[in-house]
Amino acid sequence: MPTEALPYTCTFCGCLCDDLEIRAEGGRVVEAVGACGRERPYLIGIETTPGPPPPCRLDGVETTAEEAVRAAARILADAKAPLVVGLGRATNEAARQAIALADRIGAAIEVGDAASAWPRVVAMQRSGSIGATLGEVKARADVVVFWGCDPATTHPRHFERYSRVGRDGRRAIVLDAGETATSRLADAFLAVDPERELDLLLTLRALVREVPLDPHRVEAATGHGLAALQDLAETLQGARYGAWFMGASAGRGSIELAEARRQAVTALVRDLARKTRFVSIGLGEAGNAHGVEGVLAWQTGFTPGADLGAGFPESWPGESSASDRLARGLFDAALVVGGPAPAIPVGKPWIFLGDADDEASARATAALPAGAPGIDDSGTFTRVDGVSLPVRALRPSRTPGAAEWLARLNEALGGATS
Amino acid sequence: MSTLLIRGGRIVDPANDVDSEGDVWIRDGRVVPAPADPDARADRTIDARGYVVMPGGVDVHSHIAGSKVNAARIMRPEERRGDARAMRRWRDFRSGTIGSVPSSFSTGYLYGGLGYTTAVDAAIPPLGARAAHAEFGDVPLVDKAMLVLMGNNHLVMEAVKSKDRAAVERTVAWLLDSARGFGVKAVNPGGVEQWKQGGARIAGWDDRVDGFDVSPREIVVALAEAVDALGLPHPLHFHGLNLGIAGNWEATLEGMKALQGRRVHMAHIQFHSYGGSPDAPADFSSQVGPLAEFVNAHAGISVDVGQVMFGDTTSMTADGPTGHYLANLTGRKWYNHDVEQEDGCGVSPIEYQDRNFVHAIQWAVGLEWFLRVDDPWRVALSTDHPNGASFRTYPDVIALLMDRNLRDETLARLPEKARERTGLKDLAREYTLSEIAIVTRAGPARILGLAHKGHLGPGADGDVTIYAPDDDRRRMFALPRWVVKGGEVVVDDGELRAAPIGRTLFAEVDVDPAARAALSARLGEAASFHPTNFGLGLEDLSEPLGVRTGARP
Repeated sequence: MPTEALPYTCTFCGCLCDDLEIRAEGGRVVEAVGACGRERPYLIGIETTPGPPPPCRLDGVETTAEEAVRAAARILADAKAPLVVGLGRATNEAARQAIALADRIGAAIEVGDAASAWPRVVAMQRSGSIGATLGEVKARADVVVFWGCDPATTHPRHFERYSRVGRDGRRAIVLDAGETATSRLADAFLAVDPERELDLLLTLRALVREVPLDPHRVEAATGHGLAALQDLAETLQGARYGAWFMGASAGRGSIELAEARRQAVTALVRDLARKTRFVSIGLGEAGNAHGVEGVLAWQTGFTPGADLGAGFPESWPGESSASDRLARGLFDAALVVGGPAPAIPVGKPWIFLGDADDEASARATAALPAGAPGIDDSGTFTRVDGVSLPVRALRPSRTPGAAEWLARLNEALGGATS
Repeated sequence: MSTLLIRGGRIVDPANDVDSEGDVWIRDGRVVPAPADPDARADRTIDARGYVVMPGGVDVHSHIAGSKVNAARIMRPEERRGDARAMRRWRDFRSGTIGSVPSSFSTGYLYGGLGYTTAVDAAIPPLGARAAHAEFGDVPLVDKAMLVLMGNNHLVMEAVKSKDRAAVERTVAWLLDSARGFGVKAVNPGGVEQWKQGGARIAGWDDRVDGFDVSPREIVVALAEAVDALGLPHPLHFHGLNLGIAGNWEATLEGMKALQGRRVHMAHIQFHSYGGSPDAPADFSSQVGPLAEFVNAHAGISVDVGQVMFGDTTSMTADGPTGHYLANLTGRKWYNHDVEQEDGCGVSPIEYQDRNFVHAIQWAVGLEWFLRVDDPWRVALSTDHPNGASFRTYPDVIALLMDRNLRDETLARLPEKARERTGLKDLAREYTLSEIAIVTRAGPARILGLAHKGHLGPGADGDVTIYAPDDDRRRMFALPRWVVKGGEVVVDDGELRAAPIGRTLFAEVDVDPAARAALSARLGEAASFHPTNFGLGLEDLSEPLGVRTGARP
């Protein structure tokens, strides 16, 4: 396997570290040089020689690949209101095929668990976004803010590779509901009541814009004295290059306010950018949701979901989405790419494309086994900052990859796509 | 062996000095000489009698892929909602959305539908090449190529500072090869890096870039020299200082002079040709005259125009400070993305309005460029898609070039003050069909150094556009009767018939293995990724086609 010579890309968290060195002996991974404490135990011991290929299944019963593809294609061809969901860990290459298929059958398609992606994208549609690749933060930032997130726990190598907390004299500030592993390593910590996150963001913005504020009202709204927030605003404005990191929902408050928080962060960063350089970046989530979102956007113009049912792409955030239709049973067939698969009502045919050991393989009407990217499959993932990186298999694949299964389905549905 | 005969059309092929009736034979995707046997028959014959036959269009400067383009799509759902702004799924062709930045398949179909068969994306940062090449794989009907941003590259600037020409050459070759790019682009050289540092603005050719201690003049001269030394087919593709700012024409002239006769392509020159001063916006004016005069006198300089057309569009630029300036000017939503080691991008919606004094002058400045450059081979038609307008407006631009009355009609409804600040009303020149063929295909192909494009002589790509002559030039160029790509009829009477994906052109450059190792190690120290994952292989490109370098045409 070429993996011995080439660096290994870890897909365990949003860091997407692409510098691991995998060592194998006796058919197993024995060392993962550079891996963090979370990833290492997962990698060590993985078999590097493939076992026998897992079977395709129809209603849980083993069958041939040809039969399974034919049956799956029939389900999709017969559907009037199909859904294509999952895809949160699919490669960009598989995404291209999945969207082609959705276009062909007129499906509503959505990437991964889009509950936090919709507010992020809609906020971007309203206000834009101001970001950078992580190397810019690594090279330039002197102030790094962690807003309602704890990378020391969830993204163990973030400090080392990107945010460089504790190095180069940079100042790290944590704003969160309570003390965390990250806050204990930071230079400053400010407790933020999750219910008041939005108020705090808006107050900070007012301070950066030098709007006169009533100290009592500030305290009532944020739980903090004006002086403390003024200090914080001074620190932010005093940065030469500031970086504001946040998790998937831009804080720990309710998901209903995630879009408002996103917009408030972008507005704050935009105001800061009038005085100095400042960017905001997500920590990133495990898998490849950002990559698949990007492919969906380039092929349809919309993301993280698009409805192709009318014969052209449509997107109506908040009104209709594939996950919403899934939850309400408003579909007649589904293709689920990768686990965990949602509950599907009895009587609605569906196809599962993913790990043969996933419980969904036994549950689905048709199950096509595909190995996981980074273990059995190779392709491209895109980091939260838009940097696309190769993801390489650890071992020869026992099955076709998801991209190839999807290409076969497309072919079975009526020829090549163009 | 499949053959196509395009019979009896009026062939407008200025590269071969042809404007007469004749036949075009295409075999296996290439133009071939007519068979010696007068009774030879083709697999398919198009009866082109009464039609105008031109090579496929070539766009030397456009933005069709990569993170900036995709960000614009994501950010602007408002211009892509509804049936009228979408392309329906049809047969095996893909659906998509349009707006000012169409989705990928639609971009290919729409370019192809206009008879364009080649488009160059003019601004891809090396780190963005992997994603942009993947996107190219979903842009059918056109051959693609990318220009790789290098004007603010840390390793390039270090090499420039060392005053070691060979080191600059090695760095340029390595970056180009790593990205599998076709040409070299410099955007606001040094100025973007300076802005990213939060330093004082770079406005002049001899300002210094903090931390690197180089000037824009040194960067651009070194890059132009390296491009020539490597024998790249396309000269340095150059976006100068102070884009869009009143009074920038002097810096533009000085930039051209700085190159001292070296060949250079000046991108979207319209945006760099303004009089007045930033402090007195009311003094805004056209200064095409002296700039075009300089271009006319220097054969090594070519330009593309970056024509502004009135309407709603999206500005996108690797010139971060310009993106920031524009977004603050309009107060509209702003996407900014800094990319490590090199540039980044700024994206913001913009509406060009005919009643707006500045916009009206910008429109006229673009047209002045077309009309004041004597040699059409050195002025390429572009709107800097989507910056000045979508490429979909090209038929409207062509109509304006061919018809003075049409220009005067538009001029008449512009603000009076704007009319007086340009020389457009005095320009009587009207483009001929042959000149249109030059600025839309033959010229851009020659500027790109692509010997197999932009003409219909033997060996040329079998890319042909066949128009029905029409006094309404806009209609004529908006709806070609047939479009042929690689010998295959892809558009027939406005209907898509086939959508081959097209090739990805890249420059084949030699990189010394020791230099590659050293540069890669240097990159690894600063980057947020493993340097092994920086360089792309041919398997990362869609239908790659190497273009040889080293021997300048």
